[in-house]
Amino acid sequence: MSERIGVYVCHCGTNIAGRVDIDEVVEFAKGLDAVTLVREYKFMCSDPGQSLIQKDIEDGLINRVVVASCSPLMHEKTFRNVCTRGGLNEYLFTMANIREQCSWVHVDVERTTDKAKGLIEAAVRRTRLQEPLTKREVPINPRTLVIGGGIAGIQAALDLAEAGKKVVLVEKEPSIGGHMAKFDKTFPTLDCSACILTPKMVSVGQHENIELMSWSEVEDIGGYVGNFNVTVRKKTRYVDADLCNGCGACWEKCPGTRVPRKGNVHEKLSIGPTTSIYIPFMQAVPAIPVIDADTCIRFKNGKCGICAEVCERNAINYDMEDELIEFEVGSIIIATGFQTFDPTPIKRYGYGKLDNVLTAIEFEIMNCASGSTGGNIRMADGSEPKSIGIVHCVGSRDKHYHEYCSRVCCMYALKYSHLIKEKIDAEVYEFYIDLRCFGKGYEEFYDRLLGEDVRFVRGKVAEITEVPIEEAEKGKLVVEVEDTLVGKVRRIPLDMVVLCTGLEAHESLADIAGLCSVSIGKDGFIIEKHPKLGPVATTTDGVFIAGACQSPKDIPDTVAQASAASSAVLSMITREKIEIESATASVDEDKCSGCKICNSLCPYLAIKYDEEKGVSVVNEALCKGCGTCAAGCPSNAISAKHFEDRQIFAEIEGILSA
Amino acid sequence: MLEREVVYESVLDHDFLDEIYSLPGGHEIKKCIQCGTCSGSCPQGAVMDYAPRKIFSLIRAGFRDEVLESNTIWYCSSCYSCAVRCPKEIKITDVMYALKRIAIKEGKAKKGRKASALSKNFVRMVNKYGRNHETELMARYILSAEPFNALNFVPQGWRLFSNGRLPLMPHKIKNIEQLRKILKKIDELEEM
Repeated sequence: MSERIGVYVCHCGTNIAGRVDIDEVVEFAKGLDAVTLVREYKFMCSDPGQSLIQKDIEDGLINRVVVASCSPLMHEKTFRNVCTRGGLNEYLFTMANIREQCSWVHVDVERTTDKAKGLIEAAVRRTRLQEPLTKREVPINPRTLVIGGGIAGIQAALDLAEAGKKVVLVEKEPSIGGHMAKFDKTFPTLDCSACILTPKMVSVGQHENIELMSWSEVEDIGGYVGNFNVTVRKKTRYVDADLCNGCGACWEKCPGTRVPRKGNVHEKLSIGPTTSIYIPFMQAVPAIPVIDADTCIRFKNGKCGICAEVCERNAINYDMEDELIEFEVGSIIIATGFQTFDPTPIKRYGYGKLDNVLTAIEFEIMNCASGSTGGNIRMADGSEPKSIGIVHCVGSRDKHYHEYCSRVCCMYALKYSHLIKEKIDAEVYEFYIDLRCFGKGYEEFYDRLLGEDVRFVRGKVAEITEVPIEEAEKGKLVVEVEDTLVGKVRRIPLDMVVLCTGLEAHESLADIAGLCSVSIGKDGFIIEKHPKLGPVATTTDGVFIAGACQSPKDIPDTVAQASAASSAVLSMITREKIEIESATASVDEDKCSGCKICNSLCPYLAIKYDEEKGVSVVNEALCKGCGTCAAGCPSNAISAKHFEDRQIFAEIEGILSA
Repeated sequence: MLEREVVYESVLDHDFLDEIYSLPGGHEIKKCIQCGTCSGSCPQGAVMDYAPRKIFSLIRAGFRDEVLESNTIWYCSSCYSCAVRCPKEIKITDVMYALKRIAIKEGKAKKGRKASALSKNFVRMVNKYGRNHETELMARYILSAEPFNALNFVPQGWRLFSNGRLPLMPHKIKNIEQLRKILKKIDELEEM
């Protein structure tokens, strides 16, 4: 069957027609080899435009299609579908981009028209050589791996479990709950954090569809969308989870301690038991303790053993070891969350050097009713502060640290002001650059705080010092700041300063991202598939993201994204099968020298070396058809379907000859 | 040696904001978000020491003397542009009046000498006649505020007189006793 190519030239309104002489292009295309039909239309992507192509295929006028219009990213799928509907293999279609690569970027109509001709001839020549490929489908394992048991992971796991799907939730800490479990109140509604989180944690622990692996870390991930192989390291607790009933006798009697014995109030800040065998906080799920081997007396000198003695169920086992568990899932949700910025490098704020300069998370724990101060705000010496300064944007909006805005600090800072006023009625100063109160009810919360006699000073704090200049500053922390609204530099003596440390990607995120083959941006967070239209998907099929692993987020946004991620997973699982790329690479075993260069080049880890045959083999399910291996193969043994050398050379010749 | 100007917290008056807050019209003052709508809308802003937005930031920070001694409160012409446009519905013009009263009471109205002389004499006219008497008001204002400048007012005064704008005799309203009772009651209430 000879090739009969139909060329369709799109005006795209005036987007293309305004800079390209359509009539001239049409005449030119008519003269090309194998072209039997040329049409032009205002909008090829519109319904009538698509019907034109479909009808020509159905009428048997053409058996290959070239559409000269916009970029493949925009409409390749549209026109591939038209071919399929018309009964033509979609790989016999090519798009010539005469908009983004032509009419939008050039001014001179004559030369733009010439370039359009070149692009069309290239497409026509390559299309003659294209071959039909078959779409492949693989089944999807309905089980999902959720990495991270903070509020994002909890929400995603619950949504999936409620839909009747199996979930494995992996959390590296002894309990799920994440940062939210450390908070006392949540802005702007001042809901009790534990009261809204604990029921969800309990549901996770009890749900028949959720397998919870706490105190565990993902070690390895292989496979591809629908069929991932996961290896998880279950770290040893030294407590048999099947025997333990969480009675608490062990941590009540434990003589070891995880916090410094001689530290001041701030150094001893913690929630939950401070002993060596501990649960991180009282509402922990699971309520099974862990032994901290670094501080446990037994592990230091072998002399203790009290926990084993008091345990009525004989659950303590000092000889336990890490376990590696392997299982399969079809999709993955990354929900590793954030860590807070460490302000030590900002020397002028004196964190770590000056008593009573605290980070936000320390202040959060201090306010937590179940924390070591019982929710009371205390200075290092145990007394109550009379004045507190809250410094915004510490580590955020600063090119030395993080350029981005951490999004949550303004609001938690306002929450702190409210808590301070409510608990001890101290004077509160908020030192801010801008107040970004963008969410529902946030501006109203700011308005409320304005009425609560908080002293707002606009200006980033220049320095925190304990060197007094005048009498009133003696024995105090002094904040130096320009009040930019007044236009004067002020020195303000305070008892305590809270640094609103920003959010940054968790240190484990890079490793997790590597295991899942997803990209990390220069801000350290995962890059989503599309910043607006693909916020929960990633560049790797089957891997989704939720919460602060993508960017700093507050609780409402995190929960929304977690539900979005689980719904994306559900829509994939429900299809039961997934189509995978047909334009993959293949190795000619006769030519392959077994050099393994391609093995390490492949960004999707799709090429493995077959020891028996001594050649490299492409796993077609993993291959994305990127072509890196084909270009890198020194023996020319790898060819990429749909991007064969002869097709690419034909394309180049087309461009050059027009 | 060149020394940096730094404001110490001990020189600031942190009760000032509450003081204004408790006065009529001051109730929304704490809700100011420093957007600048007031300064941007103020026709007098260019000649003021501090445009209105800055007055509010100074009040909040406790710069009492800077506010009370500024010309701002006297240059406010009560056009109400700011008050109408303020997104937080702060009664800015009312706050300016409150500041004027405090400034006069504390003898800090130096920059408002002329304006306060005019206001005081105006109130005196109303007390006396129940309405304004332009001729007496002008005479009293010039004598109390600008005596050495009196001759310069003559040409303008003559033009006003020629056009019948400066009546020689005052007009009293009927039942002026009743008005005086009202004004006396206001004074009593203010004192409370």
